[in-house]
Amino acid sequence: MLCEECNTNEAKFAVTMNINGETCLRHLCPDCMRAMNASLQGGNVAGMLSAILSAITSRNGATPRSSGVKQPQEPIPDITCPKCGTTFASFRKTGRLGCPGCYEAFRKELQPMLQQIHGRVQHAGRRPLESEEAQRTRSRQEELTRLMQQAVLLEDFETAALLRDQIHALATEGGAEA
Amino acid sequence: MNHPTVLSSRIRLARNYEDLPFDARQPGVSETVISRTANALALSGEDKGFRLLTVASLDAAQRSALAESHLISKDLLNSPDGAVLLREEDAVSVMMAEEDHLRIQAITPGLSLDESARRCFQVEDALSRNVRFAFDPQLGYLTSFPTDTGTGMRASLLMHLPMLAHHKQMGSVAQIAAKVGLTARGFYGEGSEALGDVFLVSNQVTLGRTEAEIIATVTALGEQLTGMEHDLRDHALREQRLATEDRVGRAWGILTHARLLPLREFYSLWSSLRLGALLGLIPVSLDRLDRLPVEAQEGHLRGGADPLPEGESLDAARSRRIRALLKAS
Repeated sequence: MLCEECNTNEAKFAVTMNINGETCLRHLCPDCMRAMNASLQGGNVAGMLSAILSAITSRNGATPRSSGVKQPQEPIPDITCPKCGTTFASFRKTGRLGCPGCYEAFRKELQPMLQQIHGRVQHAGRRPLESEEAQRTRSRQEELTRLMQQAVLLEDFETAALLRDQIHALATEGGAEA
Repeated sequence: MNHPTVLSSRIRLARNYEDLPFDARQPGVSETVISRTANALALSGEDKGFRLLTVASLDAAQRSALAESHLISKDLLNSPDGAVLLREEDAVSVMMAEEDHLRIQAITPGLSLDESARRCFQVEDALSRNVRFAFDPQLGYLTSFPTDTGTGMRASLLMHLPMLAHHKQMGSVAQIAAKVGLTARGFYGEGSEALGDVFLVSNQVTLGRTEAEIIATVTALGEQLTGMEHDLRDHALREQRLATEDRVGRAWGILTHARLLPLREFYSLWSSLRLGALLGLIPVSLDRLDRLPVEAQEGHLRGGADPLPEGESLDAARSRRIRALLKAS
Protein backbone atom coordinates (compact mmCIF):
# COMPACT_ATOMS: atom_id res chain seq x y z
CA MET A 1 0.00 0.00 0.00
CA LEU A 2 1.12 3.56 -0.61
CA CYS A 3 2.16 6.04 2.06
CA GLU A 4 -0.88 7.97 3.25
CA GLU A 5 1.11 11.17 3.48
CA CYS A 6 2.93 11.53 0.17
CA ASN A 7 0.84 9.00 -1.80
CA THR A 8 3.99 8.29 -3.75
CA ASN A 9 6.17 5.77 -1.97
CA GLU A 10 5.33 2.33 -0.68
CA ALA A 11 4.26 2.46 2.99
CA LYS A 12 6.66 0.44 5.14
CA PHE A 13 5.48 1.49 8.60
CA ALA A 14 2.14 1.30 10.33
CA VAL A 15 2.02 3.87 13.11
CA THR A 16 -0.67 4.17 15.73
CA MET A 17 -0.98 7.75 16.92
CA ASN A 18 -2.83 9.08 19.86
CA ILE A 19 -3.74 12.68 19.30
CA ASN A 20 -5.93 14.45 21.87
CA GLY A 21 -7.19 11.12 23.14
CA GLU A 22 -8.14 9.80 19.70
CA THR A 23 -6.32 6.86 18.19
CA CYS A 24 -5.68 6.62 14.49
CA LEU A 25 -3.60 4.37 12.27
CA ARG A 26 -1.33 5.80 9.61
CA HIS A 27 0.69 3.97 6.93
CA LEU A 28 3.89 5.83 6.13
CA CYS A 29 6.90 5.48 3.85
CA PRO A 30 10.46 5.72 5.24
CA ASP A 31 10.76 9.38 4.14
CA CYS A 32 7.62 10.57 5.89
CA MET A 33 8.45 8.36 8.86
CA ARG A 34 11.79 10.16 9.16
CA ALA A 35 10.06 13.53 8.97
CA MET A 36 7.75 12.39 11.77
CA ASN A 37 10.55 11.04 13.93
CA ALA A 38 12.53 14.28 13.60
CA SER A 39 9.53 16.13 14.92
CA LEU A 40 8.84 13.56 17.64
CA GLN A 41 12.32 13.90 19.06
CA GLY A 42 11.41 17.48 19.85
CA GLY A 43 8.53 16.04 21.89
CA ASN A 44 6.00 18.04 19.94
CA VAL A 45 3.16 15.74 18.95
CA ALA A 46 0.81 18.46 17.79
CA GLY A 47 3.50 19.88 15.51
CA MET A 48 4.25 16.42 14.19
CA LEU A 49 1.56 16.18 11.55
CA SER A 50 2.13 19.68 10.30
CA ALA A 51 5.85 18.87 10.06
CA ILE A 52 5.11 15.86 7.86
CA LEU A 53 2.74 17.85 5.73
CA SER A 54 5.04 20.79 5.24
CA ALA A 55 7.98 18.48 4.54
CA ILE A 56 5.99 16.85 1.77
CA THR A 57 4.51 20.04 0.42
CA SER A 58 7.91 21.66 0.19
CA ARG A 59 9.52 18.56 -1.27
CA ASN A 60 7.34 17.94 -4.27
CA GLY A 61 4.65 20.55 -4.09
CA ALA A 62 2.00 17.90 -3.49
CA THR A 63 -1.15 18.96 -1.75
CA PRO A 64 -1.75 16.51 1.08
CA ARG A 65 -5.17 14.97 0.91
CA SER A 66 -7.55 16.15 3.58
CA SER A 67 -7.95 12.53 4.61
CA GLY A 68 -4.33 12.65 5.71
CA VAL A 69 -5.07 14.64 8.81
CA LYS A 70 -8.67 13.72 9.44
CA GLN A 71 -9.20 12.35 12.91
CA PRO A 72 -11.86 9.82 13.84
CA GLN A 73 -14.92 11.71 15.02
CA GLU A 74 -16.32 8.98 17.22
CA PRO A 75 -14.90 6.30 19.50
CA ILE A 76 -14.03 3.09 17.65
CA PRO A 77 -17.18 0.94 17.51
CA ASP A 78 -17.05 -2.39 19.31
CA ILE A 79 -17.95 -4.77 16.46
CA THR A 80 -16.70 -8.28 15.75
CA CYS A 81 -16.99 -10.15 12.45
CA PRO A 82 -19.18 -13.21 13.19
CA LYS A 83 -17.36 -15.25 10.54
CA CYS A 84 -13.71 -14.84 11.53
CA GLY A 85 -13.74 -13.05 14.91
CA THR A 86 -11.77 -10.01 13.67
CA THR A 87 -12.71 -6.89 15.64
CA PHE A 88 -13.08 -3.49 14.03
CA ALA A 89 -10.47 -2.20 16.48
CA SER A 90 -7.89 -4.73 15.24
CA PHE A 91 -8.66 -3.80 11.63
CA ARG A 92 -8.02 -0.15 12.52
CA LYS A 93 -4.68 -1.17 13.95
CA THR A 94 -3.46 -3.31 11.02
CA GLY A 95 -5.43 -1.93 8.07
CA ARG A 96 -6.14 -5.51 7.03
CA LEU A 97 -9.51 -7.26 7.16
CA GLY A 98 -9.89 -10.82 8.43
CA CYS A 99 -12.14 -12.39 5.81
CA PRO A 100 -14.64 -11.41 3.09
CA GLY A 101 -17.35 -11.50 5.80
CA CYS A 102 -15.72 -8.50 7.51
CA TYR A 103 -16.97 -6.28 4.67
CA GLU A 104 -20.55 -7.19 5.66
CA ALA A 105 -19.92 -6.92 9.41
CA PHE A 106 -18.20 -3.51 9.13
CA ARG A 107 -20.12 -2.25 6.10
CA LYS A 108 -21.33 0.99 7.71
CA GLU A 109 -17.94 1.79 9.23
CA LEU A 110 -16.01 1.01 6.03
CA GLN A 111 -18.06 3.33 3.80
CA PRO A 112 -16.38 6.63 4.80
CA MET A 113 -12.96 4.98 4.57
CA LEU A 114 -13.62 3.61 1.08
CA GLN A 115 -15.01 6.99 0.07
CA GLN A 116 -11.76 8.60 1.20
CA ILE A 117 -9.54 6.11 -0.59
CA HIS A 118 -11.42 5.75 -3.86
CA GLY A 119 -13.73 8.75 -4.02
CA ARG A 120 -16.64 6.43 -4.87
CA VAL A 121 -18.31 3.51 -3.13
CA GLN A 122 -20.24 1.78 -5.92
CA HIS A 123 -18.43 -0.91 -7.89
CA ALA A 124 -18.55 -0.32 -11.65
CA GLY A 125 -16.28 -3.05 -13.02
CA ARG A 126 -16.54 -6.70 -13.94
CA ARG A 127 -18.49 -9.26 -11.98
CA PRO A 128 -18.07 -13.03 -11.72
CA LEU A 129 -19.68 -14.99 -14.52
CA GLU A 130 -19.82 -18.73 -14.09
CA SER A 131 -21.15 -19.93 -17.43
CA GLU A 132 -18.62 -20.28 -20.19
CA GLU A 133 -21.09 -18.92 -22.70
CA ALA A 134 -21.69 -15.71 -20.74
CA GLN A 135 -17.93 -15.31 -20.39
CA ARG A 136 -17.45 -15.74 -24.12
CA THR A 137 -20.09 -13.10 -24.85
CA ARG A 138 -18.37 -10.71 -22.46
CA SER A 139 -14.92 -11.27 -24.00
CA ARG A 140 -16.44 -10.69 -27.43
CA GLN A 141 -18.07 -7.47 -26.20
CA GLU A 142 -14.82 -6.30 -24.68
CA GLU A 143 -12.96 -7.03 -27.91
CA LEU A 144 -15.55 -5.21 -30.03
CA THR A 145 -15.51 -2.24 -27.67
CA ARG A 146 -11.74 -2.04 -27.97
CA LEU A 147 -11.93 -2.16 -31.76
CA MET A 148 -14.64 0.51 -31.71
CA GLN A 149 -12.49 2.81 -29.58
CA GLN A 150 -9.59 2.30 -31.97
CA ALA A 151 -11.81 3.10 -34.94
CA VAL A 152 -13.00 6.31 -33.26
CA LEU A 153 -9.39 7.30 -32.60
CA LEU A 154 -8.59 6.73 -36.29
CA GLU A 155 -11.73 8.72 -37.15
CA ASP A 156 -13.11 5.74 -39.03
CA PHE A 157 -16.67 6.42 -37.90
CA GLU A 158 -18.25 4.06 -40.39
CA THR A 159 -16.48 1.05 -38.85
CA ALA A 160 -17.13 2.42 -35.37
CA ALA A 161 -20.87 2.58 -36.08
CA LEU A 162 -20.89 -1.00 -37.41
CA LEU A 163 -19.05 -2.18 -34.29
CA ARG A 164 -21.43 -0.27 -32.06
CA ASP A 165 -24.38 -2.07 -33.69
CA GLN A 166 -22.66 -5.42 -33.15
CA ILE A 167 -22.04 -4.64 -29.48
CA HIS A 168 -25.66 -3.60 -29.12
CA ALA A 169 -26.89 -6.78 -30.80
CA LEU A 170 -24.69 -8.88 -28.55
CA ALA A 171 -26.06 -7.14 -25.44
CA THR A 172 -29.70 -7.65 -26.50
CA GLU A 173 -29.02 -11.25 -27.34
CA GLY A 174 -27.41 -11.82 -23.94
CA GLY A 175 -30.32 -10.04 -22.27
CA ALA A 176 -32.90 -12.18 -24.05
CA GLU A 177 -31.14 -15.37 -23.01
CA ALA A 178 -30.83 -14.30 -19.40
CA MET B 1 9.39 -4.34 -30.98
CA ASN B 2 10.64 -2.46 -27.94
CA HIS B 3 8.92 0.75 -26.94
CA PRO B 4 11.21 3.78 -26.54
CA THR B 5 9.81 4.68 -23.13
CA VAL B 6 7.48 1.99 -21.80
CA LEU B 7 9.56 -1.05 -20.80
CA SER B 8 6.55 -3.19 -19.94
CA SER B 9 2.87 -3.20 -19.04
CA ARG B 10 1.49 -5.16 -16.12
CA ILE B 11 -1.99 -6.02 -14.89
CA ARG B 12 -2.51 -7.58 -11.49
CA LEU B 13 -5.89 -8.78 -10.22
CA ALA B 14 -6.53 -9.51 -6.53
CA ARG B 15 -9.08 -12.27 -5.91
CA ASN B 16 -10.13 -14.14 -2.77
CA TYR B 17 -12.22 -17.18 -1.94
CA GLU B 18 -15.39 -16.22 -0.12
CA ASP B 19 -15.25 -18.99 2.51
CA LEU B 20 -11.64 -18.58 3.70
CA PRO B 21 -9.92 -16.04 5.96
CA PHE B 22 -7.56 -13.67 4.09
CA ASP B 23 -4.55 -14.52 6.24
CA ALA B 24 -2.85 -17.48 4.54
CA ARG B 25 -0.77 -18.17 7.65
CA GLN B 26 -3.85 -19.49 9.42
CA PRO B 27 -3.89 -23.30 9.52
CA GLY B 28 -5.01 -24.97 6.30
CA VAL B 29 -5.64 -21.76 4.34
CA SER B 30 -2.67 -21.81 1.98
CA GLU B 31 -3.05 -25.55 1.28
CA THR B 32 -6.74 -25.05 0.42
CA VAL B 33 -6.03 -22.01 -1.76
CA ILE B 34 -3.29 -23.80 -3.71
CA SER B 35 -5.12 -27.09 -4.28
CA ARG B 36 -8.42 -25.39 -5.10
CA THR B 37 -6.81 -23.03 -7.61
CA ALA B 38 -4.69 -25.68 -9.30
CA ASN B 39 -7.72 -27.99 -9.58
CA ALA B 40 -9.99 -25.25 -10.92
CA LEU B 41 -7.47 -24.34 -13.60
CA ALA B 42 -6.99 -27.99 -14.58
CA LEU B 43 -10.77 -28.58 -14.72
CA SER B 44 -11.22 -25.58 -17.01
CA GLY B 45 -8.76 -27.07 -19.48
CA GLU B 46 -6.86 -23.77 -19.59
CA ASP B 47 -3.89 -25.04 -17.60
CA LYS B 48 -1.70 -25.69 -20.64
CA GLY B 49 1.80 -24.31 -20.13
CA PHE B 50 1.37 -23.61 -16.40
CA ARG B 51 3.84 -25.00 -13.84
CA LEU B 52 3.09 -25.13 -10.13
CA LEU B 53 6.02 -23.92 -8.01
CA THR B 54 5.89 -23.68 -4.23
CA VAL B 55 8.01 -21.00 -2.56
CA ALA B 56 9.44 -23.63 -0.21
CA SER B 57 10.71 -25.75 -3.11
CA LEU B 58 12.78 -22.93 -4.66
CA ASP B 59 16.33 -22.11 -3.60
CA ALA B 60 17.38 -18.55 -2.81
CA ALA B 61 18.79 -17.78 -6.27
CA GLN B 62 15.70 -19.17 -8.03
CA ARG B 63 13.40 -17.09 -5.81
CA SER B 64 15.37 -13.91 -6.43
CA ALA B 65 15.55 -14.57 -10.15
CA LEU B 66 11.76 -14.96 -10.39
CA ALA B 67 11.23 -11.76 -8.39
CA GLU B 68 13.84 -9.85 -10.44
CA SER B 69 12.03 -10.90 -13.63
CA HIS B 70 8.86 -9.59 -11.92
CA LEU B 71 7.15 -12.96 -12.51
CA ILE B 72 6.40 -13.14 -8.79
CA SER B 73 6.11 -10.37 -6.20
CA LYS B 74 8.50 -9.78 -3.33
CA ASP B 75 5.50 -10.23 -1.03
CA LEU B 76 5.10 -13.79 -2.25
CA LEU B 77 8.69 -14.54 -1.26
CA ASN B 78 7.72 -13.54 2.28
CA SER B 79 4.97 -16.19 2.32
CA PRO B 80 6.78 -19.48 3.03
CA ASP B 81 3.50 -21.34 2.40
CA GLY B 82 2.88 -19.53 -0.88
CA ALA B 83 3.03 -20.89 -4.41
CA VAL B 84 2.69 -19.74 -7.99
CA LEU B 85 1.15 -21.16 -11.13
CA LEU B 86 3.51 -19.84 -13.75
CA ARG B 87 3.20 -19.74 -17.53
CA GLU B 88 6.65 -18.46 -18.39
CA GLU B 89 6.21 -18.30 -22.19
CA ASP B 90 3.97 -15.23 -21.94
CA ALA B 91 4.72 -14.09 -18.37
CA VAL B 92 1.38 -15.00 -16.80
CA SER B 93 1.38 -15.94 -13.13
CA VAL B 94 -1.18 -16.80 -10.50
CA MET B 95 0.39 -16.08 -7.13
CA MET B 96 -1.25 -17.91 -4.26
CA ALA B 97 -1.36 -17.20 -0.51
CA GLU B 98 0.19 -13.75 -0.88
CA GLU B 99 -1.56 -10.73 0.72
CA ASP B 100 -4.68 -11.93 -1.07
CA HIS B 101 -5.52 -15.54 -1.86
CA LEU B 102 -4.78 -14.94 -5.53
CA ARG B 103 -2.90 -12.34 -7.50
CA ILE B 104 -3.39 -13.02 -11.20
CA GLN B 105 -0.72 -11.18 -13.15
CA ALA B 106 0.33 -10.70 -16.76
CA ILE B 107 3.28 -8.72 -18.10
CA THR B 108 3.46 -7.69 -21.74
CA PRO B 109 6.14 -5.68 -23.55
CA GLY B 110 5.74 -1.99 -24.35
CA LEU B 111 2.52 -0.06 -23.92
CA SER B 112 0.01 -2.91 -24.03
CA LEU B 113 -2.22 -2.91 -20.94
CA ASP B 114 -5.18 -4.15 -23.00
CA GLU B 115 -3.24 -7.28 -23.90
CA SER B 116 -2.03 -7.93 -20.35
CA ALA B 117 -5.60 -7.44 -19.12
CA ARG B 118 -6.94 -9.87 -21.70
CA ARG B 119 -4.52 -12.55 -20.50
CA CYS B 120 -5.47 -12.00 -16.84
CA PHE B 121 -9.20 -12.07 -17.52
CA GLN B 122 -8.84 -15.27 -19.52
CA VAL B 123 -7.30 -16.99 -16.49
CA GLU B 124 -9.80 -15.41 -14.13
CA ASP B 125 -12.73 -16.54 -16.28
CA ALA B 126 -11.32 -20.06 -16.47
CA LEU B 127 -11.02 -20.21 -12.67
CA SER B 128 -14.42 -18.71 -11.95
CA ARG B 129 -16.15 -21.52 -13.85
CA ASN B 130 -15.17 -23.80 -10.99
CA VAL B 131 -14.69 -21.63 -7.90
CA ARG B 132 -16.47 -18.69 -6.29
CA PHE B 133 -14.60 -15.46 -5.62
CA ALA B 134 -15.64 -13.11 -2.80
CA PHE B 135 -17.78 -10.46 -4.50
CA ASP B 136 -20.25 -7.88 -3.28
CA PRO B 137 -22.61 -6.07 -5.70
CA GLN B 138 -21.80 -2.71 -4.08
CA LEU B 139 -18.12 -3.13 -3.24
CA GLY B 140 -17.02 -5.43 -6.06
CA TYR B 141 -14.26 -7.97 -5.47
CA LEU B 142 -13.42 -8.11 -1.76
CA THR B 143 -9.74 -7.92 -0.88
CA SER B 144 -7.72 -8.17 2.30
CA PHE B 145 -6.91 -4.43 2.17
CA PRO B 146 -9.70 -1.95 1.39
CA THR B 147 -7.25 -0.11 -0.88
CA ASP B 148 -7.69 -2.85 -3.53
CA THR B 149 -11.43 -3.44 -3.26
CA GLY B 150 -13.69 -3.08 -6.31
CA THR B 151 -11.95 -4.16 -9.48
CA GLY B 152 -9.04 -5.50 -7.40
CA MET B 153 -6.96 -4.36 -10.37
CA ARG B 154 -3.61 -2.60 -10.59
CA ALA B 155 -2.59 -1.49 -14.06
CA SER B 156 1.08 -0.44 -14.17
CA LEU B 157 3.55 0.81 -16.72
CA LEU B 158 7.28 0.46 -16.16
CA MET B 159 8.76 3.55 -17.79
CA HIS B 160 12.27 4.76 -18.58
CA LEU B 161 12.22 8.55 -18.29
CA PRO B 162 15.82 9.80 -18.29
CA MET B 163 15.09 13.27 -19.66
CA LEU B 164 12.15 14.03 -17.37
CA ALA B 165 14.29 12.87 -14.44
CA HIS B 166 17.26 14.94 -15.70
CA HIS B 167 15.07 18.05 -15.79
CA LYS B 168 13.70 17.23 -12.31
CA GLN B 169 10.14 16.99 -13.56
CA MET B 170 9.12 13.74 -11.84
CA GLY B 171 7.84 15.55 -8.71
CA SER B 172 5.31 17.46 -10.80
CA VAL B 173 4.47 14.32 -12.76
CA ALA B 174 3.65 12.52 -9.49
CA GLN B 175 1.51 15.45 -8.43
CA ILE B 176 -0.47 15.47 -11.67
CA ALA B 177 -0.83 11.68 -11.54
CA ALA B 178 -2.29 11.88 -8.00
CA LYS B 179 -5.01 14.24 -9.25
CA VAL B 180 -6.36 11.57 -11.58
CA GLY B 181 -6.10 8.69 -9.10
CA LEU B 182 -2.69 7.47 -10.33
CA THR B 183 0.77 7.28 -8.81
CA ALA B 184 4.23 7.63 -10.38
CA ARG B 185 7.20 6.54 -8.32
CA GLY B 186 10.75 5.24 -8.62
CA PHE B 187 10.91 1.51 -9.28
CA TYR B 188 14.48 0.47 -8.41
CA GLY B 189 16.14 1.48 -5.15
CA GLU B 190 15.03 2.31 -1.63
CA GLY B 191 12.36 4.83 -0.59
CA SER B 192 11.96 7.67 -3.05
CA GLU B 193 14.96 6.71 -5.20
CA ALA B 194 14.52 6.09 -8.92
CA LEU B 195 17.69 4.25 -9.96
CA GLY B 196 18.12 4.05 -13.71
CA ASP B 197 15.38 6.70 -14.12
CA VAL B 198 12.87 3.85 -14.15
CA PHE B 199 9.41 4.73 -12.85
CA LEU B 200 6.27 2.77 -12.17
CA VAL B 201 3.04 4.49 -13.18
CA SER B 202 -0.10 2.82 -11.83
CA ASN B 203 -3.65 3.37 -10.67
CA GLN B 204 -4.34 3.96 -7.02
CA VAL B 205 -8.12 3.96 -7.20
CA THR B 206 -9.73 0.55 -7.70
CA LEU B 207 -13.39 1.12 -6.76
CA GLY B 208 -16.04 2.93 -8.79
CA ARG B 209 -14.26 2.81 -12.17
CA THR B 210 -14.47 0.09 -14.78
CA GLU B 211 -11.34 -1.83 -15.71
CA ALA B 212 -11.44 -0.20 -19.16
CA GLU B 213 -11.57 3.29 -17.60
CA ILE B 214 -8.61 2.52 -15.35
CA ILE B 215 -6.58 1.12 -18.26
CA ALA B 216 -7.45 4.12 -20.44
CA THR B 217 -6.33 6.57 -17.72
CA VAL B 218 -3.01 4.82 -17.09
CA THR B 219 -2.41 4.47 -20.85
CA ALA B 220 -3.17 8.16 -21.39
CA LEU B 221 -0.59 9.19 -18.80
CA GLY B 222 1.89 6.74 -20.32
CA GLU B 223 1.39 8.32 -23.76
CA GLN B 224 1.70 11.83 -22.37
CA LEU B 225 4.97 11.03 -20.63
CA THR B 226 6.27 9.29 -23.75
CA GLY B 227 5.55 12.45 -25.76
CA MET B 228 7.22 14.73 -23.20
CA GLU B 229 10.26 12.47 -23.00
CA HIS B 230 10.51 12.40 -26.79
CA ASP B 231 10.43 16.21 -27.05
CA LEU B 232 13.08 16.59 -24.35
CA ARG B 233 15.29 14.02 -26.11
CA ASP B 234 15.04 15.95 -29.37
CA HIS B 235 15.87 19.12 -27.54
CA ALA B 236 18.95 17.54 -25.92
CA LEU B 237 20.24 16.41 -29.29
CA ARG B 238 19.64 19.82 -30.88
CA GLU B 239 20.75 22.11 -28.08
CA GLN B 240 23.13 20.03 -25.94
CA ARG B 241 24.56 17.57 -28.42
CA LEU B 242 28.11 17.55 -27.11
CA ALA B 243 27.11 17.14 -23.46
CA THR B 244 24.67 14.38 -24.40
CA GLU B 245 27.23 12.54 -26.54
CA ASP B 246 29.72 12.86 -23.70
CA ARG B 247 27.28 11.36 -21.19
CA VAL B 248 26.48 8.45 -23.48
CA GLY B 249 30.10 7.87 -24.47
CA ARG B 250 31.28 7.79 -20.87
CA ALA B 251 28.56 5.29 -19.97
CA TRP B 252 29.55 3.09 -22.91
CA GLY B 253 33.22 3.28 -21.94
CA ILE B 254 32.67 2.28 -18.33
CA LEU B 255 30.11 -0.45 -19.01
CA THR B 256 32.31 -2.09 -21.65
CA HIS B 257 35.60 -1.78 -19.71
CA ALA B 258 34.93 -1.71 -15.95
CA ARG B 259 35.98 -4.77 -13.94
CA LEU B 260 33.94 -3.97 -10.81
CA LEU B 261 30.42 -2.67 -11.30
CA PRO B 262 28.26 -1.83 -8.27
CA LEU B 263 24.50 -2.09 -8.91
CA ARG B 264 23.75 1.58 -8.25
CA GLU B 265 26.41 2.71 -10.71
CA PHE B 266 25.20 0.19 -13.24
CA TYR B 267 21.64 1.59 -13.19
CA SER B 268 22.82 5.13 -13.76
CA LEU B 269 25.12 4.16 -16.66
CA TRP B 270 22.49 1.90 -18.17
CA SER B 271 20.06 4.81 -18.26
CA SER B 272 22.57 6.97 -20.17
CA LEU B 273 23.32 4.13 -22.55
CA ARG B 274 19.67 3.52 -23.29
CA LEU B 275 19.22 7.22 -23.93
CA GLY B 276 22.14 7.04 -26.35
CA ALA B 277 20.56 4.12 -28.19
CA LEU B 278 17.28 6.05 -28.53
CA LEU B 279 19.14 9.03 -29.95
CA GLY B 280 21.00 6.81 -32.41
CA LEU B 281 24.35 7.62 -30.80
CA ILE B 282 25.34 3.99 -30.13
CA PRO B 283 24.55 0.90 -32.17
CA VAL B 284 23.02 -1.30 -29.47
CA SER B 285 19.49 -2.64 -29.83
CA LEU B 286 16.87 -1.78 -27.21
CA ASP B 287 16.02 -5.45 -27.08
CA ARG B 288 19.49 -6.18 -25.71
CA LEU B 289 19.63 -3.12 -23.46
CA ASP B 290 16.26 -3.82 -21.87
CA ARG B 291 17.50 -7.19 -20.64
CA LEU B 292 20.38 -5.66 -18.69
CA PRO B 293 18.57 -4.34 -15.57
CA VAL B 294 17.25 -7.84 -14.89
CA GLU B 295 20.52 -9.62 -15.75
CA ALA B 296 22.52 -7.29 -13.47
CA GLN B 297 20.70 -8.37 -10.31
CA GLU B 298 21.91 -10.81 -7.71
CA GLY B 299 19.59 -13.75 -8.36
CA HIS B 300 20.40 -13.71 -12.08
CA LEU B 301 24.14 -13.42 -11.41
CA ARG B 302 24.11 -16.28 -8.92
CA GLY B 303 21.91 -18.65 -10.92
CA GLY B 304 21.23 -19.34 -14.56
CA ALA B 305 23.43 -20.73 -17.30
CA ASP B 306 26.55 -18.84 -16.21
CA PRO B 307 26.61 -19.00 -12.40
CA LEU B 308 28.92 -17.00 -10.16
CA PRO B 309 32.27 -18.78 -9.67
CA GLU B 310 33.30 -19.38 -6.06
CA GLY B 311 35.08 -16.36 -4.59
CA GLU B 312 34.03 -13.88 -7.28
CA SER B 313 32.31 -10.77 -5.95
CA LEU B 314 28.90 -9.69 -7.26
CA ASP B 315 30.37 -6.46 -8.63
CA ALA B 316 32.97 -8.43 -10.59
CA ALA B 317 30.38 -10.91 -11.87
CA ARG B 318 28.08 -8.05 -12.86
CA SER B 319 30.76 -6.28 -14.90
CA ARG B 320 31.59 -9.57 -16.63
CA ARG B 321 27.95 -10.32 -17.45
CA ILE B 322 27.28 -6.79 -18.74
CA ARG B 323 30.46 -6.75 -20.86
CA ALA B 324 29.48 -10.06 -22.44
CA LEU B 325 25.93 -8.89 -23.18
CA LEU B 326 27.14 -5.64 -24.73
CA LYS B 327 29.91 -7.25 -26.72
CA ALA B 328 27.49 -9.61 -28.40
CA SER B 329 25.59 -6.68 -29.89
